[in-house]
Amino acid sequence: MGTILDIFTVENIMFMLQGAKISITVAVFGLLIGIILGTVSASCKISRNAILRGIASVYVDLIRGTPMLLQLSFFYLGFPMLYQMITQRYLAVDALTMGILAIGINSGAYTCELIRGAIQSIDKGQWEAGKSLGMTHQQILKKIILPQSFKRIIPPLANEFITLIKDSSLVSTIGVYDLMKTSTILGTNYYNYFYPMIGAALIYLILTILISQVTKRIEWRMMESD
Amino acid sequence: MIKIEHVCKKFPNIVALDDVSLDIQPNEVICLLGPSGSGKSTLLRSINALEIIDSGTISFDGVVVDTHNEKQLCDMRTKMGFVFQHFNLFPHLTVLENLLLGPVEVLGRNKEEVKVEALQLLDRVGLKEKADEYVNKLSGGQKQRVAIVRALCMKPEVMLFDEPTSALDPEMVKEVLDVMRELANDHMTMVIVTHEMNFAKEVATRIIFMDEGKIIEENTPEEFFAHPQQQRTKDFLAKVL
Repeated sequence: MGTILDIFTVENIMFMLQGAKISITVAVFGLLIGIILGTVSASCKISRNAILRGIASVYVDLIRGTPMLLQLSFFYLGFPMLYQMITQRYLAVDALTMGILAIGINSGAYTCELIRGAIQSIDKGQWEAGKSLGMTHQQILKKIILPQSFKRIIPPLANEFITLIKDSSLVSTIGVYDLMKTSTILGTNYYNYFYPMIGAALIYLILTILISQVTKRIEWRMMESD
Repeated sequence: MIKIEHVCKKFPNIVALDDVSLDIQPNEVICLLGPSGSGKSTLLRSINALEIIDSGTISFDGVVVDTHNEKQLCDMRTKMGFVFQHFNLFPHLTVLENLLLGPVEVLGRNKEEVKVEALQLLDRVGLKEKADEYVNKLSGGQKQRVAIVRALCMKPEVMLFDEPTSALDPEMVKEVLDVMRELANDHMTMVIVTHEMNFAKEVATRIIFMDEGKIIEENTPEEFFAHPQQQRTKDFLAKVL
């Protein structure tokens, strides 16, 4: 069994930090995809077009009603299979890309509800003012409602980012070398999981605390501008 | 200019408009008076299609408004200015940006050109130095004057006012009424829902009195205030004057 000094060598710490870099990458791109999908699907949900509303509802219910681990495996294992069944051709997928996609699509469903909540919290007088100027539904949404919603959505979005930093650890199950995976590998190599897990936990903790501190700063700034 | 024919509108437990017909001519200044809940705000909002009427027709410049036709609806609204009781300015934009949004986004006009006009109008209502402030920094009276200018920047054919001074502190009412008085003197067509009786008497070319969703009486301001015909009008005037 390896001792703490055996495990936390410069080389091994760098190995874990490389993993942390991948974890952050997954979370950041997942969040970006989530914001885009969330904005689009929230706009669909408040649309007057029943088909768009239906599509958005199915998306949100499907994602929120199934385990994230299953979605991840589906993208990495199931999706290439589906492709093969349809096209009769083999599809090589990259674990990291599929991991980011799955996390992003998952996050989009939760972000959708956040954005929809923020949109609906905007006073209906804002819609009416836009209408009275002759603006279309689309124009009002884009120029008046969404800009005001985004301000309100920054705190819950920061929470979502923190959730993604933690949930990104799930990509270790499809073979992505993230922080979770690298620390497990160290554990296996040294027959000692205790110190690598503590190390990984510390790094996750530092990341999440950092994000919530930065968000608090931003919120302060915004309060001043109000 | 605006022709309202047999308009009815029901809310879940109240009949807001009960077979209302009204013809509004260019250059008229119409004041809609009546007790709260009489339907005057609903009528005004229906003209701008902010309320969807249950039956009857409203036509603007000879065209019957079809509320399912977004393009026609937007087109019509660009020709009407609407001033809300609670201003409804856009808080994420500066005063000037509030004024530019409609002309630039909706009418597709040149930004610099509109800016010159907007600043002139702001100057007329005494708020030129506030152009770059965010609207939340303004007082109620200043907000309402900006809201009026925002509507004017669209160069509307008619201005609709929905209790423009009801949400203001008393000392701010005059500055807003002064702006409206000036508009009336410039022969802007106006429809005003108000509780300011003296103002109505002074600027209106016609007074419409409503109660329980119906037009009870209409007359020139002189006749209306001096010789009300209907009992309900007399009761109302006895209470408010």
